[in-house]
Amino acid sequence: MTAPTLSAQQSVQPGNTTIKPRKSRLSRKTRRAALLFLAPFMIMFLSMKVAPIFYAIYQSFFKTERTGLGFGESKSIFSGFENYLVAMQNSDFMASFGRVFLIGIVQVPLMLGIALVLALLLDSAFSPFKRSFRLIFFLPYAFPGVIAAIMWSFLYQPQIGPFSAWLSAIGIHVNFLTDSTVFFSIGNMMTWGFTGFNMLVIYSALQAVPGELTEAASLDGAGWWATSWHIKIPAVRPSIILTAVFSIIGTVQLYNDPAILAKVAPGISSTFTPIMAAREQSAANNYNLAAAESVILALVALVLSFGFLKFTQRKGADS
Amino acid sequence: MATRWFKSAATAVAILSATALTGCSGTSSTDSRPAGEPVTIEFWGAAVGLEKSADIFNAAHKDVQIKYTQISEGSAGGYAKMLNAVKAGNAPCLASISYNTVPSFAASGSLEDITEYAKDSKDRYSPAGWQLSSLGGSVYGIPVDLGPMALFYRADLFQQFGITPPTTWDEFQTAAETVKAKSPDAYMAPYPLRTDDIGALAWQAGGNWFGTEGDAWKVSINDEPTKKVANYWQGLADKKLVVPEPAFDTAWYTSLQSGRIVSYVGAVWSGALIAKNAPGLKGKMAVAELPQWKKGEHASGNRGGSAYTVLKGCKNPKEAAEAAVWLTTNTDSLTSMIKETGIYPAAVSGQKLPALTAGSDFFANADKTADIFTTAAKNTPDKWVFGPNMTSLSPKMNDGLKVAASGQGTIPQLLDTIQESTIADLKSQGLSVKE
Repeated sequence: MTAPTLSAQQSVQPGNTTIKPRKSRLSRKTRRAALLFLAPFMIMFLSMKVAPIFYAIYQSFFKTERTGLGFGESKSIFSGFENYLVAMQNSDFMASFGRVFLIGIVQVPLMLGIALVLALLLDSAFSPFKRSFRLIFFLPYAFPGVIAAIMWSFLYQPQIGPFSAWLSAIGIHVNFLTDSTVFFSIGNMMTWGFTGFNMLVIYSALQAVPGELTEAASLDGAGWWATSWHIKIPAVRPSIILTAVFSIIGTVQLYNDPAILAKVAPGISSTFTPIMAAREQSAANNYNLAAAESVILALVALVLSFGFLKFTQRKGADS
Repeated sequence: MATRWFKSAATAVAILSATALTGCSGTSSTDSRPAGEPVTIEFWGAAVGLEKSADIFNAAHKDVQIKYTQISEGSAGGYAKMLNAVKAGNAPCLASISYNTVPSFAASGSLEDITEYAKDSKDRYSPAGWQLSSLGGSVYGIPVDLGPMALFYRADLFQQFGITPPTTWDEFQTAAETVKAKSPDAYMAPYPLRTDDIGALAWQAGGNWFGTEGDAWKVSINDEPTKKVANYWQGLADKKLVVPEPAFDTAWYTSLQSGRIVSYVGAVWSGALIAKNAPGLKGKMAVAELPQWKKGEHASGNRGGSAYTVLKGCKNPKEAAEAAVWLTTNTDSLTSMIKETGIYPAAVSGQKLPALTAGSDFFANADKTADIFTTAAKNTPDKWVFGPNMTSLSPKMNDGLKVAASGQGTIPQLLDTIQESTIADLKSQGLSVKE
């Protein structure tokens, strides 16, 4: 089979090939022109993206000192890693990581599995109405996240949503918003919203699989399943990894869905996810702690996504 | 590697900037002005239609002019914007903030002490409102409106069940049992899911969560009256006489209209919200005095309401404070606010304005509602003090009430937890706490 060569080919990452850029001999004029063109982007990027990171990191090392009733002037003093310690000892903040981990470990593989199957089905030669289905699957992603979340919050509520009524009509009494069911409810919202996007990423990768390969496979007698398993899936492995990394980061940063549902769901606290917990601190005017929590959150997202990449790279090298 | 690092870094940026990047806009009202030009007082608030009151003020004044800017609701970022502006040194002079936020603003050093400009106006306001705008003997704001409490009930269903509006909390419980007996799917009232629900009821019972003694805060969230209120509602919850449905949510309005919930203990402003979102209840709802702990009393609690405060750094605090007093006591300005924003004035004169006493014909006893709320406002204890950490206390208590409503733990237990965590919270901020 051609599978091994293909996956070996695909797993050559740009990072592994070290091509030293040639020393460019641009004239001063060209360089100035380049800088001029880059300036609008760089100014916005530095001021809106890079500066806030460093400001947050800077803030996370300070704390506000007040005395007595606190009505006088307060001053900001350097506190080293104190905010980080406070954040780590804050059980609400740490529990929020447990929740997104729990949601992610079930939801991400499930969603990517569905996305992959849908992409393969769309890619197969026999599927009718390809364009319509592609659009229908992708449609939920086109909904603004907050609006979708509000819609789901209506659907889930036992008093006004239809699901509870339908289910109780057949004898199943379920409340989608209790502290145990809410994990599934949020997972369902995420799956509904993002499967289409991931499907599209994988589907576009499938388009790039050379037709000769699948044709050769079918000449060799491989059916739909064998072609998918041995040719198509290895070929789109990088895309699957990419969608997985995006999904991991997205789950760690979970905010919209639980924040909207929290208004009606007894099972969602105001510190349900890490971002909600950090927001809570900034709402309480404790920007220093909020900054520390944000930095921790960023580090966790970084470690998880890098860790996953490293893990899959090693697995890819082994096979 | 470089590109992947870049992607992750970009993600990190996105997360960080969510909390670090906060809007800082607004122009300074504090710059020096040439002689002869009027003082411009910048004014931030979330209320719709407040610019009309500003126009009325501007028409009546030559040397001081108000420039009103409507910003987002405090909890939706409005307060963060104000605090950031104070930090950046370009805050407006006047800011409208809710009573329960006044202490946290003051304790973050964001408010000017306006005692010397405002103290002579004290008698023009309801004592409860004045108390809520002051802290530790200093005045930090001018009271604008109040949220006196009453009982909103389905008059038609009460009649059908043979219930007369309860005058005491004992009668309220008996009525709740009757409701359950007559209609098993119905509930007397929603479960108190919000910090404000418990706070306002504790207030009526004579409780007080905070206080100042010298240079230290006193914390008493689990005081005797609050415990009494907590035990009472826990009892109703244990008997399944109340139902945890978040007030003012779509489902809640549906429940009010369908008769699943037959009454609501709420503040004066709830009336307009119910009228707007449950129009089918016109003529079916009525208002009664809040049930009492002792028969024959008329005590009420307060829920909501706000003060106009002078933010730190204002160059014209005297003019700003005087403008705030004018806006909140002038007949035309108050009439406009009653009509535009539906406030219940904290100014004593405002409570007698025809715009208010006309009442809404939404309620079956429209002719009596104004009297009920005036009596409630007059009989709201004026000892209540909010703490400097309400912004972190409220979400914590809301979370706890949600959990208690689902049957894990009780409201009295929650009070003890919040008492402890609040003391720890204040101490961690470097504030003195007297225990």
